[in-house]
Formats: sequence, structure tokens, C-alpha cells
Amino acid sequence: MSGSKPDILWSPHHVDRYVICDSELSLYRIESVGNSEAKAGALRLSEETTATLLAINSDTPYMKCVAWYPKHEPECLLAVGQANGRIVLTSLGQSHNSKCKDLMGKEFVPKHARQCNTLAWNPVDSNWLAAGLDKHRADFSVLIWDISSKFTPEASVTLDKIRLSAGDTDAGLVVTKPLYELGQNDACLSLCWLPRDQKLLLAGMHRNLAIFDLRNTSQKMFVNTKAIQGVTVDPHFHDRVASFFEGQVAIWDLRKFEKPVLTLTEQPKPLTKVAWCPTRTGLLATLTRDSNIIRLYDMQHTPTPIGDETEPTIIERNVQPCENHIASFAWHPSSQNRMVVVTPNRSMTDFTVFERISLAWSSTGSLMWACGRHLYECTEERNASSVEKDISTKMRQRAQSRYGHDTEQVWRNYLLAGDDDPQLKSLWLFFPIPASLMKQYTEDLEQKPLVNKLPLVYSGIKNIVKSSSGTVESWCCWNGSDRQANVIRYHSDERCLALQLCGWIKRGPEIDVEPFLQSLEVEREWERAAAVALFNLDIRRAIQILNKGASAEKGDLNLNVVAMALSGYTDEKNSLWREMCSSLRLQLNNPHLCVMFAFLTSEPGSYDGVLYESSMAVRDRVAFACMFLSDSQLPRYIEKLASEMKEAGNLEGILLTGLTKDGVDLMESYVDRTGDVQTASFCMLKGSPGEVVKDSRVQCWIENYRNLLDAWRFWHKRAEFDIHRSKLDPSSKPLAQVFVSCNFCGKSISYSCSAMPHQGRGFSQYGVSGSPTKSKVTSCPGCRKPLPRCALCLMNMGTPVSSCPGAGKSDEKVDLSKDKKLAQLNNWFTWCHNCRHGGHTGHMLSWFRDHTECPVSACTCKCMQLDTTGNLVPLDSV
Amino acid sequence: MTACVRGAVLKMIKRTTLVDSRTSVTDVKFAPKHMGLMLTTCSADGVVRIYEAPDVMNLSQWSLQHEISCKLSCSCISWNPSSSRTHSPMIAVGSDDNVNVGGKVQIYEYNENTRKYGKAETLATVTDPVHDIAFAPNLGRSFHVLAVATKDVRIFKLLPLRKELSSSSGPTKFEIQTVAQFENHNSQVWRVSWNITSTLLASSGDDGCVRLWKANYMDNWKCTGILKGDGSPVNGTSNQIFNSPLGSANQTIQNSLNGASAGRYFFPPLDPPRAGSRWSSYAQLLPPPTLIEQTCDADSVNSQLPHPRRRYTTQPENEWV
Repeated sequence: MSGSKPDILWSPHHVDRYVICDSELSLYRIESVGNSEAKAGALRLSEETTATLLAINSDTPYMKCVAWYPKHEPECLLAVGQANGRIVLTSLGQSHNSKCKDLMGKEFVPKHARQCNTLAWNPVDSNWLAAGLDKHRADFSVLIWDISSKFTPEASVTLDKIRLSAGDTDAGLVVTKPLYELGQNDACLSLCWLPRDQKLLLAGMHRNLAIFDLRNTSQKMFVNTKAIQGVTVDPHFHDRVASFFEGQVAIWDLRKFEKPVLTLTEQPKPLTKVAWCPTRTGLLATLTRDSNIIRLYDMQHTPTPIGDETEPTIIERNVQPCENHIASFAWHPSSQNRMVVVTPNRSMTDFTVFERISLAWSSTGSLMWACGRHLYECTEERNASSVEKDISTKMRQRAQSRYGHDTEQVWRNYLLAGDDDPQLKSLWLFFPIPASLMKQYTEDLEQKPLVNKLPLVYSGIKNIVKSSSGTVESWCCWNGSDRQANVIRYHSDERCLALQLCGWIKRGPEIDVEPFLQSLEVEREWERAAAVALFNLDIRRAIQILNKGASAEKGDLNLNVVAMALSGYTDEKNSLWREMCSSLRLQLNNPHLCVMFAFLTSEPGSYDGVLYESSMAVRDRVAFACMFLSDSQLPRYIEKLASEMKEAGNLEGILLTGLTKDGVDLMESYVDRTGDVQTASFCMLKGSPGEVVKDSRVQCWIENYRNLLDAWRFWHKRAEFDIHRSKLDPSSKPLAQVFVSCNFCGKSISYSCSAMPHQGRGFSQYGVSGSPTKSKVTSCPGCRKPLPRCALCLMNMGTPVSSCPGAGKSDEKVDLSKDKKLAQLNNWFTWCHNCRHGGHTGHMLSWFRDHTECPVSACTCKCMQLDTTGNLVPLDSV
Repeated sequence: MTACVRGAVLKMIKRTTLVDSRTSVTDVKFAPKHMGLMLTTCSADGVVRIYEAPDVMNLSQWSLQHEISCKLSCSCISWNPSSSRTHSPMIAVGSDDNVNVGGKVQIYEYNENTRKYGKAETLATVTDPVHDIAFAPNLGRSFHVLAVATKDVRIFKLLPLRKELSSSSGPTKFEIQTVAQFENHNSQVWRVSWNITSTLLASSGDDGCVRLWKANYMDNWKCTGILKGDGSPVNGTSNQIFNSPLGSANQTIQNSLNGASAGRYFFPPLDPPRAGSRWSSYAQLLPPPTLIEQTCDADSVNSQLPHPRRRYTTQPENEWV
């Protein structure tokens, strides 16, 4: 501290106070912003904290070093070492403590005047103050003063010396006799007391580090080294000491003091300060001259004095608390890794060195991280709108609501998909249609010659229209009038099928959209219904729908106006109506209203205004195309639309591609985009039996979805999914992996059963079927030897659980019998893979509900605890 | 050593010590489940070692299967978790080397023919020391996503080129796209972590913040949350959140953001409401284990103070059940 360069000292007991010392001492209090809003004179230290100047002390000139009294009382007592070697006790603050008043202004004067380099209070015996001085011939350089010592005896002894050190008006406060004098004929540059013993003092002398023992001052332990500056003891590891020389830090172990245990990488500029972090082990902060970087060394392994070969792990880290060069810094005594830095022009910054935060996501979508000594967990807001929810959350919620599992009522998925995703909704709107078509076709298999088109329903409209033949063109009339409409309509069986797939018409040869219109009306999709009516050349119905809509929506003017505009339709080519409609229709917000006028004003055969209206549902556009595009135009349009959908991964396109390879391509880009393997799996399973399920991509999605369910611990859902899958895709059924084999003949008992068909299938006769008439098989069907006995009921396996009394509590039995599925499993074989003991599953389950050890006496196997996952419970309901 | 899982204290037993590395081991990762029980280590001398436990019931036996020499001091490794048969096993290795110039992320791929791992790619654009690296869960996607923590957060997309284009026996060639690069940490980034569907990335850096990144459907990655590592509120983030609606092209999102329901973010009841992140950190779990007695004493002053955000709340595990 060379006068101009400020140093900083943190109060040992007040966590909010520190002192900046340069030519004077200034006491600051640090506060968080919330407490001191707009307080005048508060200095901003960081975003959250400010500092307020509490006191200034400029009584002591020529300050060289300062040390803060380590005890609570008197607070704010400081020892100041001066350039002439004197040590003055001074205070910041208005302590009225009498003891403090006695001490204030007390001076400790060495025999010969020279610079005082360092001061250190003894942390235990706080009356002792050690001072390190420059060399003066053969004089001592380490002086230990007792601040409570009475001045009178010394005054009499060294009265003449006091006179020499003139200028003191109050000579009574001057102490000249130190308690101990050490380090003769040497200079002392740094000092610190060792926490190991209150009488041990470590000093950085001129060319060596020395440990002085005050119990025997004639001896000292020392080691020759250049690294003698800034000795400081690790507060967490009392044998570890850091000292430095120029740009190099040496770490010492006092138990093995011959040489440094570590020498840290040399820094290009000389160091000015080295300090151990008081709140974290092994973190050393170093500062070099003219630098704005504090370099931290994180010593993660305590270096041991024995075993040189162990390589210590040190992580270096540079932190930059502020833009300017740093004059000094001080760790906060208790806040984790916090420090205040001060620049040469006294601007200060409050700064926290953050630990490296390690992170991990849980499978259920919460994030946990470790910061300092705390763990934090963070989850997505529960009431976040569905649009913002992550797909993992959505999939998890859908899985919980049995999304996809309902094979009979596929339309339920439409509801389960949530409100936010129109694509997903349209996908699940599409799926019930081919299913019902398939059903109907199978029903009237005899009457219909359409059987050959049956596989087509899942192959997508793209393939259906390709195979189209026998198209009939017809000039159509406006419904309810003889006026010839200016459009050609195309009919064929395939187009009819396509319309059915689009949901416009129900099964049947005649094209009747009325039921569809009515359903749209129920769903209050007025504009869409009107457009569909219009495309079916029924202006009157369209107007009627719009009117209905207008009245239902409480006089929606827009719909009425549109109805009016529609009623004025004329096919006159150059009419004002036509002209205005074509220009004004683009201003309509609703795409359906817009396409209605596009249709009315378009030339026959060119309906681009309708076909390329991207905000209209794909199935409506496709249905429209199937009605009004010629055999040459239609496949081209469908092809184009399909590849567009494929590119975008738009699920609406499944209607076009069907569950074909194209469909898988489309789904691939959907999965690439969203990661929604759940929908992809369920959707593609619908395509089985077929080639699509065999596609490696589809298999990959299914596997990934199963893994997801497992990761969420939705084990029941996963089992249900597997069952569902094996129904649709029998090839996916896994082969049996575990067999119960007979102890005697070694044959699988289920295998030998199935070899004899008259005995029934598989395990069913081992009490599993529950049929009372069936004879219970309690012996191996291969060799007729009895099956092993259940460890609990001591009956041979194969005996049903219900017939053996006293195995579980009576209420439990009722509980178990309630659930028929579980009751079947109760009879199953269960055994521990470790001790090979086992029995009926039901008995084992109830046994291990209360016990940890194997039920077989003398067997100490802790069967249930062998597997750590055995303690986990599924997170979904059955 | 003990661990606590759901109240049950499990005793950790040391099963084996792998002593092959001569220098510091800088990262250890288990291989994806479908590959069996395999363990990978990387060390400061640039060697990646792959061990396998042939018998899962006997964890004392690990055989060293592969040694890959990376030539650069390794700092982190990540397995590609894809279980698809079309993707060969793949490891990304990051290096904290600051001597050499050149790519610091290397990707090694297993070659079925040679039965060895060979270098498939080097991400030449990453030239600064890499601290962490993470492959995203593949989840059936046709490409791989890799997050790299270096002086910034980077997200790469690796699109495997079709086998016809590259030679059939050689390593897979990739088209590498830098999808995102964020310097918001303004400092070194230490860790990156993907969520289960690889739709959210979390990163932590020297600024003491945890940031969350999310892509919209257009594959534009945005910051969706900033959390201070110590759970304290972050000032001035509310604007950032509102200015980055996910999928700005989507009209419905705009509406919902303007609407009352989504416009406000609340923290769970224990916390004071603060606008800003959609993400809330509310549970501080497990009182710090006494790793070091002295440090815990030093902290006891803090932990005894009633702190509104530092109370432990049990999170309902089975909310939807």
C-alpha cells in the first residue's frame, strides 16, 4: 500500500462493512439496492448492491499497512503500520467502549525507525500484534506487541528513547517494549499467525520463510526460498500456506516444509495480492500489477505430503470483475465466493465468482443444477399456454390421457391432441374415415365390386387419383335453377372415394354433402360450410348457411354482407359484380369467404385462387380439386401439394400420401421438425399390416417412443402400447425370453405343454386360467416330477393362490381378487435371481411389502433390494 | 459413500478402478443403453478409452475395448444416443487445448468393417477451448444435433449424407450446419444439457446464469429463460422474453401472447411473483451435504436466514396420475 494505491479490508465481524485504505481510512457499508433506494451518496457496486461511506479517518499519515482487530469488541479498531515503523491503534466509528478509548491512539515504537511492512493480529490471543519491519543492522525485524500492556513500566525503562522519538505530546500512550523480538539481522516482508497453535508465527523473511515458536524463541524452523511475500494460511486447511515472489505463487505444506508442494504457473506481471477464499476450500485468488483480471486457482485435491507422484488437479480461471485495472480485492468473509474489488481511483465493484454450474434435465422436464452448495430445481410453468409448452410435456400429458391407445374410437385422439395443433387434429380427423370405410366395405363385400380398391384407402389420395379411370365429365347446373353453371364437374369411383376420404361425403354412389354441411353448422364453421355448399353449386344453401351463421353469431355483419354479395352473383363476364368481387375478395380475412368469390369469378378449369389458398384446410382443397380438375390436372396438382406437405412435414398431407413410403417421408420431416415420435408411432401403426411398419424409420420411432415411456416410468402405458402394437403388427411380438424349466428333466414346462395340444396352451393350466373344472397341474408335464413349492404357502407351484389359506391378510385377499388381471398374475412363478428362492407372485408381493429378506428361513438374501430399480414405482395408472 | 434415492439410503460400493490413464481423466460417460454396459473416459493426454463390462452382474471386470488417440488434450466426450440401426455408434470429443489452432471438436464413428473407431468429422469452426459437449437425444430424427460449450453456446446439426454419395466402407460424411451461436453468457460457457426430446437446451456459464434455449418450428433458436445460478431474480429479462415469442410466424402465438392468460408469468406460491422467465426455480432441495465441515459452518449464517426462495417444496411427482 504505497499511499496512492488503495487496499481493501473486510471487517472480520460485520459482513456489510469494509475499509478502503490509501492515504486515509474510509469505512463503507454495503447494502442491497432494495434497502437503500435513492439514498444520496450511495455508490453503486453492482446491480444489486450499493455502498455508503460511513466514516473517514485521516489521522494517521504515512500508512504502510493496516490490520483489523479480530475480536468483536472493540469494533472498528485498526492497527496502522507507518513508514517509520511505528504502529498506531486507531478507530473508525464512535465506539464509547472504555477499553477502546484506552487503546485509541496508542503507539508502539521500535528501537530504530524503519518501514513497517506488515501487521498481524493473533487470532486467539487478540492482544498480541505482530509487526514485520525492514532490516536495520542487527536489530530484530519481527516485533510482537501486547496492546494491553501498561505503558508505565516501559516508560521508566526507555524514557530516553521516547524522547528521541519526539513529537508525541502524549508520551503516556507510547509503548516501546515489545513482548517478543524475533528475526534478528533480517527483514520481514509478510507475517501470519498459524491457526495450528496460537504461539506459532509464520514470517516471510528476506530470503526464507520462517516459523517462529513463541514458546521457544531461540529456535526457528525455516526454509530458504524467494517466495516470501504475502504469506497466507488456507482457512480450510491449516497446513496449507501460499506465498509469492514476482509472478509465481508457491503453495506450502507445513507438514513437509522443505519445498513447496506446488508452484503455480508463472504470471507475466508481478503479483500484488494472493488470498484464499474463506467460503470455499482450495480456491486461491491472485492479482497482478496493472491488470483487470483476477486469476483463480481451484485446487480440487488437497496435496498430500506423502506420495509425490499424485498429480494435483488445479483448474485455472480468469475473472474480470471490472473494466479498469484492479488495485486490490477482498473476499467477503461469509457470502459465497463474493469479493469487492477496488481500482486505483477508488471505484469499487461488488463481484461474485460463480462456481461452474453443472446441469441436468430430468426425464419429466425439470432442470436441476448445482450452484455453490445448493441444488436448484426448475420446472416449466404449469399454466403455460399450450402453444408454449414443450413437446416433451405435451407428449407426456397425451400419454397420460391414453392418447393413441383407443383403437375403437380413434376420433378420441382428436380431442386428446389438444387445441393448439390444427395439423394434429386434422390427422386424427382423417384416420377414422378409412377405418370406417374399410369396415363398411368388408360388411357388404358381396354386393360391391369395389373390393379391389380396398387397399387403396390407406394408400392416400395421391395413389387413388393416379389409378382413376372412367371419369365422366358433366356440365353442371346451379342447384335449384336451370341456369347452366360455367363449370365442368368430374365424376369417377376413385374421385368419389377421395371425397369420402376428405370427409365431404359419406359412403354411397350419390354425392350428397348435406350431412357434412349440417355437421359443420353444428360446429359453427359457417364460412367453411358456405364454401362447401357453394362448391357443390348450391348458392341458395350457401346463402342460407351464412344467414344462419349471422344470426347465430349475434348479427355478424360480415356474414350477412357476404350473403348479400353472393346473392348478386352473375355469370356475366364483364359485369361490375365480377370486377369488384375479384378485387375486393382479397380483403376478406376469412380464407373460406375469400375462396368462394375466387371460385365464382374464376374461369372454368383454372381455380388457382382456390387450390393455392394455403390457409384453407388441405382436405377441402383436395376435395375441391377432385370435383373440378380434369384427369390431367388433378394428379399434377395432388403431386405438387403432396411434395409441398412432405417438405414442410405437414401432417395434413397424410391424406394425400396415405400410409405409404411417401407418408413415411412426410412423417420423417414432421418428426425432424417436432420430435413427436408419439404421433408418428401411432399413426404408422395404423398402416399395418403393410410395408410401412417394416420401414426402419418407423421401427426407430416406435423404439424411441417406448424408451420415452420407460424414461417417464409410464410402464403400464408402455405395456399397453406393446399390446396395441402386437395386435396391429404381429411380427413385433417379442419371443419369450424367460422359461420355467423343470428342475429334474430341464425341459421348459410351458414348451412341453404346448407340445401337447390337448392340455391347453402355455401356462393356462397352471392355475392361471382360474377355471375350476380344469385339473391343476402341479407336476412337470415332461417327467411328471412335482413342481417346486412356494416358499410361503409350501404348496407345489401350479396350485392357485386362492386355494391356499393364510398367506396374506384377509383384507389383502379381497383387494387382490378385485383386480382380475392381478389375480391371474398372483399364481405366477416368481423367483429371486440371486438366491433362487421363490413362489407364487401374489405371496411374494405381500411378503416383500413388509420384509426385506427372503422368506426362506436361514436365507439372508435381500431379494427386493438387489435391484435398485426395484424401489421405483410406475408413475402412471394402470 | 452413500446416496439418497427417494428416502432410501443406498450404499455406494466401489466395484473397480480403471487405471489405464497416465494423466488426468477429464470426462467419463456411459455409452447409450442399447450398446450394452460400456464406459468411456477421456484424458488430458488426448486418449479416449472405451471399456466394456461383458457381464452386468460382475462390475469388477471391465475390459478396455478401444483406445482412440485424439492428438489434442480432451476435455469432454459425448455419445450419440441414437439407437437407430442406420446410425453407427458415434462419439464427439471436445478439447480444451489452447495451443493448437484448428477444430476443437472431433467426431469419431465406429466402422463395422474395421471394428475400430475412426474420425468422421472435425468441426473446424470451433477453434476455442471446448468445455462441454452434448449430443441431443435423437428421438427418431434423421439428423444429429450437437451442442458445444466454448466461449459461447453453439448448436450444430449433422445431416448424414446418403451412403451412395460417400464411399460405402469409409466413415459417414456429414453436412454440418451451425444452427445457432449465442454469446449471451458474455463469458466462458461451462455446461450444456439437452432435455429428453432435445427441444430445450440449458447452458451455464461464468456469468453465473443458467440459460434455456428453445427452437421454434422454423428451427430458429431463441433464449426462452434466464435464471441466476443462486435462484435470485434476473433484472431486465421481461422484455427479452416478450420479444422472443416462439414461432413468431404463427398468428395464434401472437394472440396468446397478447392475451391475458399467457402474458403473465407466476412463480409457484412460495415465491413472490416476478415477471420474466417462464421458468421458475423454486425448490432448493436437500440441505447441502457436509462435504467440508468448515465451509458448511461458514454458510450456516446464510442458510438460517429465512429466504423466500430458499424453502424446500415437495414437487408433486405424480401430478397427472
